[in-house]
Amino acid sequence: MKVKAKLKKGVVGVKVLAKSPMVGKEEAEKKKVDVEFITHITARVNGAVVFEASTGPFLSKNPYFQFAFTGANKGDKLDVDWVDTNGKTAKKTAKIK
Amino acid sequence: MQRRKFLSLGVVTAVSTLLPSSVSATDFRVEAPASWEAAGSAEAVKALFGDIKPIEGQIKIKAPKLAENGGAVPIGMKSKVKVTTVALFQDANPRSAVAVFELGENGLFDIKTKIKMRKTANVTIVAKGIDGNFYSQVQKVEVSIGGCGG
Repeated sequence: MKVKAKLKKGVVGVKVLAKSPMVGKEEAEKKKVDVEFITHITARVNGAVVFEASTGPFLSKNPYFQFAFTGANKGDKLDVDWVDTNGKTAKKTAKIK
Repeated sequence: MQRRKFLSLGVVTAVSTLLPSSVSATDFRVEAPASWEAAGSAEAVKALFGDIKPIEGQIKIKAPKLAENGGAVPIGMKSKVKVTTVALFQDANPRSAVAVFELGENGLFDIKTKIKMRKTANVTIVAKGIDGNFYSQVQKVEVSIGGCGG
């Protein structure tokens, strides 16, 4: 997973690139692979949730998210974590630049 | 609806004891499972938000006029309206719901993501404002090559 967070004029812009094949049940049957997609992704700054998404298999492979929020400072830590259909999790911390 | 409200209140209380300035963490896949199974956008919206009368014209959808790769169609959604929840639907895949975004209290309604669309179809955004109103916008996106892998 890649996370970038940049503060500009009081607004923090975040780009997240998660890693998952995002295979839903129709695609899994056709390609004879297992269902595997991210179901929930959460972003927190200093412990407070700033953005979260409940997701389904119709996001692109290796899903991309871009979002924005205010009220954070340069150097604050942004934690992003996700969980998928198999219970697999991933976590990444980025400093707001 | 009542039950959902009650449950989310419970989450707020539980979380806020640990993190004073936090907002609730809501998993809409658990809270509204029916909306993820619905085949059409109208059905999915109803399953997620109930019988709503959304206001149109407040949300801007940024999508390509003709998407060349249906496997990753960039969809941007933006508005000046302060919202708590933004849901993204499309009618190009077997099921309509793509993602439900929740913004923290400092969150801005300026989200971009990439979705799969195996054919030309409408993309629908429905957002719940902090004023309690619902907002929606529909845009047709043309896709030249299917990208659902199916």
